[in-house]
Amino acid sequence: METIKHMRVARATTSSRIAMTLGIVVLVALVAMPWWATSGNIRWAIELCCYIAIAQMWNLLAGYAGLVSVGQQAFIGVAGYMLFVLAQNFGVNPFVAVFLSLIAPAVLAVPTYLLLRRLDGPYFAIGTWVVAEAVRLATSNIDYVNAGAGMTLRVMTQYSQHEREVAFVILCAVLLLATIGGSYWLLRSRHGLALTAMRDNPVAAASQGVNVGRLRFCIFVAAAVGTGLAGAIYYMAQLRITPGAGFDPFWASMAIFIVMVGGIGSIEGAILGALIYFFADRLFGEFGSAYLIVLGLLTLVIALYARGGVWGLMQKLGDHPWFPVRRKLIVEERA
Amino acid sequence: MQWLDAIIQGVLLGGMYAQYALGMALMFGVMRIVNIAHGDVMILLSLIAVSLAGVLPVGNIGLIVVIVPIAVAIGWALQTFILNRVVGADPLPSLIATFGLSIALQNLMLEVWSADTRSLPNSGIASESFQIGPIYVGLLPVIVLICAFVLTGGLDAVMRYTRFGRGLRAAAADTEAAAMTGVDPKRIYATATAIAVGILGLAAVFAALRATVSPSDGSAQLIYAFEAVIIGGMGSIWGAFLGSMVLGVAQAIGLRVDPGLGILFGHLVFLLVLATRPEGIMARKK
Repeated sequence: METIKHMRVARATTSSRIAMTLGIVVLVALVAMPWWATSGNIRWAIELCCYIAIAQMWNLLAGYAGLVSVGQQAFIGVAGYMLFVLAQNFGVNPFVAVFLSLIAPAVLAVPTYLLLRRLDGPYFAIGTWVVAEAVRLATSNIDYVNAGAGMTLRVMTQYSQHEREVAFVILCAVLLLATIGGSYWLLRSRHGLALTAMRDNPVAAASQGVNVGRLRFCIFVAAAVGTGLAGAIYYMAQLRITPGAGFDPFWASMAIFIVMVGGIGSIEGAILGALIYFFADRLFGEFGSAYLIVLGLLTLVIALYARGGVWGLMQKLGDHPWFPVRRKLIVEERA
Repeated sequence: MQWLDAIIQGVLLGGMYAQYALGMALMFGVMRIVNIAHGDVMILLSLIAVSLAGVLPVGNIGLIVVIVPIAVAIGWALQTFILNRVVGADPLPSLIATFGLSIALQNLMLEVWSADTRSLPNSGIASESFQIGPIYVGLLPVIVLICAFVLTGGLDAVMRYTRFGRGLRAAAADTEAAAMTGVDPKRIYATATAIAVGILGLAAVFAALRATVSPSDGSAQLIYAFEAVIIGGMGSIWGAFLGSMVLGVAQAIGLRVDPGLGILFGHLVFLLVLATRPEGIMARKK
């Protein structure tokens, strides 16, 4: 008598099916917003989507590729400026220009990485900051983009408020699909295994045949493009960009805060963190610097005592991943 | 002659940067920690100095005598209560911890001192200058440069010849092996950070004498210190000094080209060094 063993690999869990259904509901609700929400709420939704996207990209960099960057604002700014230049100076349709403007962060990311890869760990981080500062100062000195005074997206007046809102919510849905969906797809793929191995130990991963250098390079460029898309959408909705705002180091602080509080090295963490940050900002933002002192101290405390953040604590209570990237082998015995 | 003047002013500016960079070179060389709050701690000490000067009529020298011990205490506390918990192979925790500290400190200073720029009362020394040929040289920048030079030499000698320096280098090379031979790495680390921040205390008084300080200036000082350390070569004390000179001269020349380009020129020279000689000007041989 011989038992035939059937093996299959399970990837989805009950919690992930619920999360996926909820995710689709949220996306549909987001796209339908112009028909049920106020303009103020739509502006909030755009902002929240940009936070989630920027944080997700930072999480991919710091949480998986081991590349801590405090200069992501460089990519936000250049994508925003490219959009304004294309739409305002060249007359390109702004909604097409959003995607064309992604060339700028990609082109900036390549030499940035090639220069900075020589610096390890913390020095890489400050190196990215220097690059962002250099790009900010250079932008402030270029008269073509109106130097320090910044640019205004006047071409948007040709669209009605409703048309703009419909376009923005679709762009936001694309942004979320590209950053969260893209990260999820990447982590579930063959490269995801390599990335997870790299997160846990880059040297061991390299010994197993992972091309750590190339993977890091690809992640750095991909994260720059994702961050750039969020920046372009954000400043398109703002209708104005200045070097001080577009290249504000606060973008990096925000991404770090969101990912650290939410839980580094997980897709869920960045989403949770962005929600926490967004609502904390609405509730306590009026306290100004006192609120930022608390944010700073909270980041410090999490780095010292609770590296997993909120998602780490939730996982201790029960293993219910929203975006499972693990594979589970199920052996079924049949007579 | 305009360019010779730019170079001289640049070297003098470099003296100020060297005082920021020395502490960073020491901390990175030993603990591989980059303290993101480095510049903010310096600004904090400057603001304390400005406030103290309003209460205590001790003069500039007296102020240094008061501020440096405060700086040493802050450095020791920073290492003992925060950084010692996050030192290790993974640079992320220390980076994030000091990043959070930096944001908290900046905003704390905003609450206490508001966003106004402040400086120490002008006691004459800041505006005195002397003439070499056709070039005017400020007395205070020269004092700053001499102090930076003496500090660099002193720190280098401490690293080379003292028992503490040997322990420091041993802990930097291999923490566990050093611990086995009787070096207490955590104590060595605390002393190193205390020295690093102590130097910042001196820099803080000079910075407040030379120009104005405001709570948001810290990140710029951090970036200059960092650039100086990388240009000079990581792990080299004299390298940090030399890197500061290069950075100062680059900024001064950029400033002559166009007032908006000074700091950008510094960044560009840094990126150029990274592209052509990533180990820095005075890289230690392996």
